[in-house]
Amino acid sequence: MSIEIKNISKQFGDFKALDNINLEVASGELLALLGPSGCGKTSLLRVIAGLETPDNGQILFHGEDTTDTHVRERQVGFVFQHYALFRHMTVFENVAFGLRVRPKKTRPSDAEIRKKVHRLLELVQLDWLADRFPAQLSGGQRQRIALARALAVEPRVLLLDEPFGALDTKVRKELRRWLRRLHDEIHVTSVFVTHDQEEALEVADRVVVMNKGQIEQIGTPSQVYDTPASPFVYQFLGDINLFHSRVHDGWAEVAGARIAATDSPDAAKATIYVRPHEIDLSRVASEAAIAGKITHVRLLGSTVRLEVDVADHDAVEVELTRERYAEGEWKVGEAVWLNPRDAKVYTGL
Amino acid sequence: MAGATNVHRSIVTTEAPWVRYTLTAIALLLIGLFLVVPLFTVFYEALKKGWALYFEAMIEPDALSAIKLTLIAAAISVPLNLVFGVAAAWAIAKFDFRGKSVLITLIDLPFAVSPVVAGLIYVLMFGAQGWWGPWLMDHDIKIIFAIPGIVLATVFVTFPFIARELIPLMEAQGSEEEQAAMTLGASGFQTFWRVTLPNIKWGLLYGVILANARAMGEFGAVSVVSGHIRGETNTLPLHVEILYNEYNFVGAFACASLLALLALVTLAAKSFVEWRAEQQEAAARRDAVE
Repeated sequence: MSIEIKNISKQFGDFKALDNINLEVASGELLALLGPSGCGKTSLLRVIAGLETPDNGQILFHGEDTTDTHVRERQVGFVFQHYALFRHMTVFENVAFGLRVRPKKTRPSDAEIRKKVHRLLELVQLDWLADRFPAQLSGGQRQRIALARALAVEPRVLLLDEPFGALDTKVRKELRRWLRRLHDEIHVTSVFVTHDQEEALEVADRVVVMNKGQIEQIGTPSQVYDTPASPFVYQFLGDINLFHSRVHDGWAEVAGARIAATDSPDAAKATIYVRPHEIDLSRVASEAAIAGKITHVRLLGSTVRLEVDVADHDAVEVELTRERYAEGEWKVGEAVWLNPRDAKVYTGL
Repeated sequence: MAGATNVHRSIVTTEAPWVRYTLTAIALLLIGLFLVVPLFTVFYEALKKGWALYFEAMIEPDALSAIKLTLIAAAISVPLNLVFGVAAAWAIAKFDFRGKSVLITLIDLPFAVSPVVAGLIYVLMFGAQGWWGPWLMDHDIKIIFAIPGIVLATVFVTFPFIARELIPLMEAQGSEEEQAAMTLGASGFQTFWRVTLPNIKWGLLYGVILANARAMGEFGAVSVVSGHIRGETNTLPLHVEILYNEYNFVGAFACASLLALLALVTLAAKSFVEWRAEQQEAAARRDAVE
């Protein structure tokens, strides 16, 4: 089931949550809405679900206008960040709820409900928890039950609002891989909201980066990461170092180093982004290298972070693998040259 | 996990033993003087001249009629408040709308207004000299000095109990479960019946018990609108006052002991409900893996 979002706007008081959003979700796709808090991603998801009504625009499911369809009839599966399981019902009854509230005509028999619920619990690998209450489950288990409950009504689309946001890092990583495998298995069109770029890049077929109620970029994980459409996308998808400069004859100068800025108009203000792991350290000066001095070294598991002071600019962060760091024998207080392997120059900001 | 009775207290928030014992002694003394001794006196005075007279005072026709009227007033006002309280709490806790704080203040009004004033309001509106008095008289409808007035006054004074009990509870629970129910296709009624109500049942029961106790025990507001017609518009508290003023101490205390018994039963029921609610919560917490 494809979803088409046309010119959707939504305002809360003075706050513009969604500003003319246009987006298409292909049938069977797993799409991530990524952005900082307050960017409108959750509002967009809730508008798709029918939990919020847009001020303008249309939502189409498979070409059919559902903008005015009540959430009850929209047949969406919605998974909440804090699970929203019915606390007074067992896991079994939670999953069965969507079937039990159907009108008599379409309601399956008790035996069918039992069969279906157990099949779903097997799908989320929690069949053995059927008689427990939600409070007796761990966070990861609760979210899997919430997913089974949403799938029980055979939704046309599955919407997940920060589904792993309330879980600790390790469980979160496990669960998102599990979600990806599950999606490959059942292929229901899914949209999930996250503020975690790693999660979006790892799980989604396509990523929609949002900021201030607007879409900044739509693309596959590698597209948005490798060719960010805007400075915002660049800095949101990973750590960055930022330099301010001006363009002269196709070059921008940063602390004595020249960085290529072809296609940029002369004398334009330039903002230059470099990712910490895309900088090489050297003890030999060169034209494209920035001079600096190492002030801090921090070991972070498999990587090492060095802070380098650069004249007239903010301190630069450099990330090296453990091996590269050991090979270079870098010391605090040492003068070094920074060679950006890749730098993005944005002008006219 | 430590139980509720076995809480470890930090040394910094504890006082010296003599302070603790003195405070406890003062509290116990006051409770004894103002609560236990009067309660004992009620039963002592009621039974002073033997069980025979005690029961006679209670099955006397005027007393029976007072008991009946009290039960009628409670039987009408408690369900009315139940419906209103749930509706008001639902509206306030689950929706945002203009004038919400005004509604909350209005719900509290009966707590703030003296019951006598509450009774007078109804006399001014429905009494013979009141706004609608002549119209009501023309149509032969009696409200003041009749059962409808008593019920109205009782409804007024018990108005806040259930809503006040439910609003914080429902606000704390939020509306995510209701939203989840809606996305699963449940209608508004199904959502309320299957999701909201089970989540608030203990709070609701607690509110009903308190409202019932107040409905049966109310004196001030009912006294103003009742007219004290024996065997007709006397509720139990009013009947006690009349008997006492006539120096019929056994009768007065016998009826008073009924009210006192009602209070004791209410307290027991209230403690039971609190205990059950706590038990369920504790069980949920104890079993939680996280």
